[in-house]
Amino acid sequence: MTKIVVTGIGIISALGNGKEQTLEGLRAGKTAVGPIRMLNTKHHELPVGEVAFSDEELKQLIGMSADTVTNRTTLLARVALKEAIAEAQLRPSDSDAIVLISGNTVGGMEKSEQYYWDFQQNDNRNEYIGLHDCGACTEMIAEEFSGHFKLTSTISTACSSAANAVILGANLIKDGTAEIAVVGGTECLSKFHLNGFNTLMILDKEPCKPFDAQRNGLNLGEGAAYLVLETEESALRRNVPILCELSGYGNSCDAFHQTATSPNGEGPYLAMCKALQNSGLSANDIDYINAHGTGTPNNDECEGYAMMRIFGDKMPPISSTKAYTGHTTSAAGSVESVISILALKHQFIPANLHYSNPIEGHSFRPVTEVKENVPLKHVLTNSFGFGGNDSSCIFSAYREQGTEDRIQNSEFNIQKAEETAHSSQLTAHSSRSTYIRAASQISLQAPLSEQWFDEPVVPSSLNCDSQEANYSQYISPMAARRMGKLFKRAIATAVDVLHKGDCEQVDAIVTGTGLGCIENTEKFLIAMLNNDEELLSPTHFMQSTHNTISSQMALHLKCHGYNCTYSHRGTSFDSGLLDVLTQMHLGDIHKALVCGHEEMTPEYFRMLDRIGYWKKEGIDKETLHRHDSNGSFSGSCSLNLLLTDTPDANNLCAIRGMEMLYKPDSQQLDSALQRLLAQNDLNINDISTIVMGLSGDQANDEVYLNFAHQQCPDTPIVWYKHLFGESYCASAFGVYTSAIILQRQTIPNHLIYKGKAAEDTPIKHILVYNHFQNKDHSLILLSSCLY
Amino acid sequence: MEELINKLKEEIIDVLNLEGMKPEDIDENAPLFGEGLGLDSIDALELIVLMEKEYGIKLKNANEGKEIFKSVRVMAEYIHEHKTK
Repeated sequence: MTKIVVTGIGIISALGNGKEQTLEGLRAGKTAVGPIRMLNTKHHELPVGEVAFSDEELKQLIGMSADTVTNRTTLLARVALKEAIAEAQLRPSDSDAIVLISGNTVGGMEKSEQYYWDFQQNDNRNEYIGLHDCGACTEMIAEEFSGHFKLTSTISTACSSAANAVILGANLIKDGTAEIAVVGGTECLSKFHLNGFNTLMILDKEPCKPFDAQRNGLNLGEGAAYLVLETEESALRRNVPILCELSGYGNSCDAFHQTATSPNGEGPYLAMCKALQNSGLSANDIDYINAHGTGTPNNDECEGYAMMRIFGDKMPPISSTKAYTGHTTSAAGSVESVISILALKHQFIPANLHYSNPIEGHSFRPVTEVKENVPLKHVLTNSFGFGGNDSSCIFSAYREQGTEDRIQNSEFNIQKAEETAHSSQLTAHSSRSTYIRAASQISLQAPLSEQWFDEPVVPSSLNCDSQEANYSQYISPMAARRMGKLFKRAIATAVDVLHKGDCEQVDAIVTGTGLGCIENTEKFLIAMLNNDEELLSPTHFMQSTHNTISSQMALHLKCHGYNCTYSHRGTSFDSGLLDVLTQMHLGDIHKALVCGHEEMTPEYFRMLDRIGYWKKEGIDKETLHRHDSNGSFSGSCSLNLLLTDTPDANNLCAIRGMEMLYKPDSQQLDSALQRLLAQNDLNINDISTIVMGLSGDQANDEVYLNFAHQQCPDTPIVWYKHLFGESYCASAFGVYTSAIILQRQTIPNHLIYKGKAAEDTPIKHILVYNHFQNKDHSLILLSSCLY
Repeated sequence: MEELINKLKEEIIDVLNLEGMKPEDIDENAPLFGEGLGLDSIDALELIVLMEKEYGIKLKNANEGKEIFKSVRVMAEYIHEHKTK
């Protein structure tokens, strides 16, 4: 089994900049939470864990010129990333498979809330419009390493984002996609999420008291932290010091409620069980737990019960360090991973500050004073997010090659946990095949049907909304009361695809959404700006977190399996697909929903119009085909694919592999394609057709056509965005279109962009090529199941 | 009081987006949470916002809502006593 080690860590939080200040602060046992000094808000009654540097000072720390257009989420990340990379002595030449996986949720909101009226009314702040989404931040973060990453992606699962970045990075290494993964998360304080948490009435006006009977909520914090993960071989080859091992991890969905954790902490329990199982350790091996411990009545009570279920009366020392830093939300997973690694390295346990009395029913007390000289070998850290997105990671002291003494037959009984999670991880995976079992879509085409293939609807507006299905057969009125359009579409397509695929339950639900539920995000933002931060709706805030779509599906399907959300611009769906394929290859999951969900509002449309996303007029097929002007047209769309590793005559097609690349030159793109083909004993002439995201946008289309011209000038080209429109998850429809073509063995004329499909020749293999602004690229190889 | 109860029912249906429900469908004596109408903690937060917006009543923490939201009638009585607008 691949041993994954940590060779670099970087951190910035209210405790200070870098490992030294963090360590000093932790050992001093003093909170860094205090009154608001920089954030522009009226809620000065709320203490926060603010990073003490202004944006200008952060720019100086990384040698960025003062006039660079960026945001605080990015700046915090770059400071932490710089430290991690320096410690790991990482250079671009070290490997051609270094990846960056970064988590964030707030994105550029801290700037958008300042300039929102400009975005709507004038062109004064256009340079910030394109920096609003989570993926835009990751692009800017990647520049700290001069963009020398093989691939980048963005995870947005609220407060477990960074922990899930650690998990994806590790899985990509195990599966061979990456050799080195820089992983972590970042979040700056914003008026938006301070007010959001305030509407949920879970912010304590005093310093927070995790696990205390009198706890009264959390304090928000900000910060960023990154870890450099790599294979042991890579670290030894590079001759860099190894800090520790990442010995195990797990993610599970509580599938109980949008914000509340289930009373017995089912999701947290399963996440910790999976992490233990994944590490091969038994519960008794854990020497310290860095708990999620936010200080809210609900989290701490349920997390405590979940820990008691696992550790019983042999509870290891526990502390939550959120009273030091505040809750750094999307960064918390990596901030606390770094704290756990510091504890491991320096053999101490940070204190659980402000604790007096146990919660009724809890049989344990956390560590209330800093403990020095504690022999620590294995540290478990928890990160739980809205929507019951629960993750746990275990870091272990490094044991040199050949000195492993891990107990493989852990006495800890994981059977029950596994059954509940509908996972059967221990089964060896016999083949690497993955199939698309079924698909279901809601878009501007006829909903929940494939009518578009034979009789497509011709788009008629620059901002095409979806045709709605009849949701009442899928969702009860009570369940629908808080659902925006996107939730309803997601659930309807999820139920429909499971029905079509004759499948009752999946092991994973993975969503790609560039913007999430922007309708409700905007409602909250506009109300906040208009009502002077008063009388805001908790429902709108809750739905502004991108992963609520994926968690709503889990809630509806009662799926406790793996749950993740990718918000990485035009490759959001592709990122999710890569995650699922990776886990299927590793044999960790066998059936999964992978989906793309995007909506568009008039306000957001107007914003993107200012920066050239849309055509001014004319979206007919001929105009788009000419691709002689900028922009395309917007299409809201939802797609759910059911993936399986089981061959079946009814599967739509096989997924033979995929490659994702960040800012590749033409040679790297060519190598990736050759790799993909060679792995499947194919050459480019075996490709029946190439399916590309041609949208009518001049610059966008040029990239596609150049690629086709260089790689396969005679291969017919299929397009699909003229039917579904452009959106951050539109690429999902490229895979979908290809799957239907492979199943039906025909390409209708309306899908052909260039060339002619050879008649009476079977359609065996399709190459799907997607890129976003020529930065993120993906190549996906699909094959017919008939030949 | 009956007038306030009816007004409140309409406001609850509106703010909680209870599609297809009419005021007469809500029993003012039945529990709002759990077995009765089946509302949850997020609905409680929305009702807290509703009380502040429409009646100028500000609750300090969500727990206070537990007693007040026992039923529409209890809620109406509380509003009648404490409203500032």
